[in-house]
Amino acid sequence: MDGPAGGRDTIVALATPPGAGAVALVRLSGPCAAEVAAGLLPGANGGRRGNGTDGRERTALPGRAARLRTLVDPVSGQRLDRALVAVFAGPASYTGEDMAEISTHGGYEIPASVVEACVALGARRARRGEFTQRAYLNGKLDLAQAEAVASVVEAKSEAGRVVALHQLERGLSGRVAALRERLTGLSAMLVHHIDFPEESDPPAPVAKIAEAASAVARDVGRLLATAPAGELLREGAVTVLAGRPNSGKSSLFNALLGSERAIVSPEAGTTRDAVEAVASIEGLPFRLVDTAGLRRAEGRVEELGIEVARRRLAAADVVLHCVEASAAGDEAGPAETAFLSSLDAPVLSVRTKWDLAAEGARPRKDEVAVSALRGDGLGDVKRALARLVFGGVVANRAEVPVVTTRRQAAHLATAREELEAFAAGLLEGLPPEVGSAHVKSAETALEEILGVVCPEEVLDRVFSDFCVGK
Amino acid sequence: MRLRYDVIVVGGGHAGVEAAAASARLGAKTVLVTPDLTRIGQMSCNPAIGGVAKGTVAREVGALGGVMAPATDASRIHFRMLNRSKGPAVWGPRAQCDRATYPLAVRRLLDELEDLDLFQDMVSDLHADGGLLGVTTRGGVVVEGRAVVVTAGTFLRGRIHVGGTAGQGAGRAGEAPSVALARTLEKRGLEVARFKTGTPPRIDGRTVDFGRCERQDGDEPAHRFSCYTREALPDQRPCWITWTGPALAGVVRRNLSKSALYGGEIGGRGPRYCPSIEDKIVRFPGAPRHQVFLEPEGLDTRELYVNGLSTSLPPDVQLEFLRTVPGLEEAKMTKAGYAIEYDYFPPRQLRHTLEVKTVPGLYFAGQINGTTGYEEAAGQGLVAGANAGLAVQGRPPFVLERDQAYVGVLVDDLVTKGVDEPYRLFTSRAEFRLLLRQDNAPSRLGPLARDVGLLTGAQSAALSERLDQETRARAWFRDAKMPPAAVNVLLRKANSAEATRAVRAKELLRRPGVGAAGLIEAFPGPKPAFDPDVLATVEVDEKYEGYVRREAERAARLRTMAEFAIPGDAPYADFVTLSREAREKLQQVRPSTLAQAGRVPGVSPADLQNLVMELRRLRGSAGRRQSSASAAAASATSARKSP
Repeated sequence: MDGPAGGRDTIVALATPPGAGAVALVRLSGPCAAEVAAGLLPGANGGRRGNGTDGRERTALPGRAARLRTLVDPVSGQRLDRALVAVFAGPASYTGEDMAEISTHGGYEIPASVVEACVALGARRARRGEFTQRAYLNGKLDLAQAEAVASVVEAKSEAGRVVALHQLERGLSGRVAALRERLTGLSAMLVHHIDFPEESDPPAPVAKIAEAASAVARDVGRLLATAPAGELLREGAVTVLAGRPNSGKSSLFNALLGSERAIVSPEAGTTRDAVEAVASIEGLPFRLVDTAGLRRAEGRVEELGIEVARRRLAAADVVLHCVEASAAGDEAGPAETAFLSSLDAPVLSVRTKWDLAAEGARPRKDEVAVSALRGDGLGDVKRALARLVFGGVVANRAEVPVVTTRRQAAHLATAREELEAFAAGLLEGLPPEVGSAHVKSAETALEEILGVVCPEEVLDRVFSDFCVGK
Repeated sequence: MRLRYDVIVVGGGHAGVEAAAASARLGAKTVLVTPDLTRIGQMSCNPAIGGVAKGTVAREVGALGGVMAPATDASRIHFRMLNRSKGPAVWGPRAQCDRATYPLAVRRLLDELEDLDLFQDMVSDLHADGGLLGVTTRGGVVVEGRAVVVTAGTFLRGRIHVGGTAGQGAGRAGEAPSVALARTLEKRGLEVARFKTGTPPRIDGRTVDFGRCERQDGDEPAHRFSCYTREALPDQRPCWITWTGPALAGVVRRNLSKSALYGGEIGGRGPRYCPSIEDKIVRFPGAPRHQVFLEPEGLDTRELYVNGLSTSLPPDVQLEFLRTVPGLEEAKMTKAGYAIEYDYFPPRQLRHTLEVKTVPGLYFAGQINGTTGYEEAAGQGLVAGANAGLAVQGRPPFVLERDQAYVGVLVDDLVTKGVDEPYRLFTSRAEFRLLLRQDNAPSRLGPLARDVGLLTGAQSAALSERLDQETRARAWFRDAKMPPAAVNVLLRKANSAEATRAVRAKELLRRPGVGAAGLIEAFPGPKPAFDPDVLATVEVDEKYEGYVRREAERAARLRTMAEFAIPGDAPYADFVTLSREAREKLQQVRPSTLAQAGRVPGVSPADLQNLVMELRRLRGSAGRRQSSASAAAASATSARKSP
């Protein structure tokens, strides 16, 4: 079914994970959303099946209120489900278009057949993220918020979810908008400086303009400083378990996963030599990587040099270096120690299998002792991990890390660079009217974060991001 | 009596003058009809031309062959380059003119144009029947033509207000308003609105104690407005600066109820940036004082224009507050200030050629479009006159883009954004300030004007000389080697590292604080003579090369959007993915390109994205149906290469 002339089509998708849960939600968005939903009601197709309640049921889909209705297959006329149906008229809806939400019983069969029925009535299966994309295109969300939608849905930990929600509620957008506002003020100073040379109020001295620009640059920097933590919160900190064969890596890996109700399925795309899983530790997201395949490279001191481990370690946010408790204190060979200390990531030394340690033995100050078998010391490892990776975040709750994507960070970095160049240029004698190009660029960079791109950028955006006309 | 012309220009103000001259320079038979031929080019307000941005417009009008630039040179009695302490990129030439000489210079320049006739009478009616346009005058003369440019200024149902009296119908002080023409235009279904503006009192200079004022002299007469002719420059006169104080504020406050502006007699909106003294006192109660410029009205008159004290208070109150100002204690007022209210036609009803969308062949320019300022009027007049002349010759329109001229910014702002207060140009209205400079106006616009035929033979020859000089200047700075002994004094003064060996002038010019003129001065060999504006061009291009290039790149990117044409009959009502507000605004403006659509207030970036998709969809469906009706849409999008 085509929408009204020139209009967008109507899309349908199952909004809840298939199979899970007692209730499933089917969403429709587009000019014919209400029409398609109404088409599921008995008698919708020209009253082919004589049924006394047809007329009443069909027309009784009031806006913004859920109604319990019987759904029938529009083709076969067979009863599908008894479900809650709600319609929302645009633009006061999530996507800004007309929408319908159908809450069916859960499982695989019923929701799928309702989606099928909607397709039969002319709706198109939505692409991934298409509802959010429409919300963005209709101005219901800015770009940072649209990104947050995905982050909330895919949040790997409590803290990650909090940050994503904060962003969805315009946490980042609000702060970027405030910075943009200050740039407008800066531009106003420049305009006063250039356009009104004969006014009684003398224009702001150049040093004052430079200071104002530096102040904004500093605040952009403060926001940018949350980017590493923000990205870690969004993506999870890559935590590589390293150590010799049989040093207790896998036991620790399982213990860290097992005690939390974490996602334990290995993720696709990891090399078959490494096992990766996501765990929420202390409410923070970690991606645990066990370089299990190394266990076969027995007897080689340079085992850490094996390519897989090397690559994994290079990308690590933190390394758990496992050394057996029973081993001598200098267990880690010099090559191994040298390699580990050459890494950017912090290394946490873990003395594993502490249940086998000699009576009265004590771990070194910079070590954590753990027994995966007895569960001793696991809490210490978790707290140490949280502190090492998210220390800044945990210590300073006031500064919610609002910058969570590389895209956002890149634009902030551009804005800061431009403002610093402007301020430095002014102090070196660059005329403000010339340097104002920097302010313009900084403004554009901030606008990019919100998706409020200046008109000349729009075309590129349209064709690169949204694949139109194909 | 019946007269026949190609182009009829109604009105002899700054817009009318440029419109008539441009049309005539293109070779179209043109007549300028105005109620009083002795008042052609009259400076009804302050006899000053230029300023920041406005001065660049005057230079642009000159580069396009216009009258304003040479007329200003020939009559200016006080010239200053504003923003001189800043970089040449934002210099703004400003001239105080002799009120009596300026119109004479205009008249002389118009009389040189072979294809231009002048005719004295007031136009009372306008007719447009089937392609032939014409006007009827109050004296019953019918003038027929193929295009009409209306530049009626503040004459359309103008009402003058001096506090304490009821408003009187008037066009300018002492002249009759044009009521019949306003009615005729309104009857054609054009939307009308009202603006107001004010003037300050004039005083007798013999009664001013200049000892209590600050003297401001003009600059050395190196710079000129005209790039093609070298008019004889009159002697300069000083301006004087003084200040208002608490006593003036007290007088104004006590008498506010007598002000026409504050007494509720005037409904129209006035400009925020040119406030009356009543406005200044009410809106900025904290300001202890306001600047007042005493500007000479001419060489042969002692009359002074009291710039900064625009008012509609009664004459006795005006005299009372004037006499609180230092230096004016004994001042005699020669003419009281007044406010004027007038009709204008919201300019979104116009195309970029300034042709009225609904009446082909009818053009509007100047204050009738809701602008203020002689320069803004002149720029529009030139665009309207040129396009009227081109249209009757069956030639393509002449439209300046936003990255080509302030005139382009002005026209695009008017037809795209409309006006909600009298429109004046500022540098901040231009996205490409570094490209649109007063110094490079001839090289930016001269060749365009020459190619379309807007320059006379003499102007074209002068342009070639100017472009040639620019080439020579660039070559000189590229080749000249400056020995350390010659430049080190200059470099020390600029806090720049001293030279240890001969350095090329071009390299030194890139250093902060080192100017082009200074380098030529320091050169030990024969010193070349270049126009100061040519030097400014070379200096800016060299010193801020990276910035200029960056702006040019930004402009080029905008051009790709400007090349994305939107069909004039785009079915906006059907574009349901656009917000309701965007649909309505686009329907109203009917932008011709995507770039213009982006500047329509109320159209968000999301709307623009959706507009592109709607237009592509339109083209797609047109292709499938092979429909001829959609050919317009198809040609609109074909300007853009397929992704």
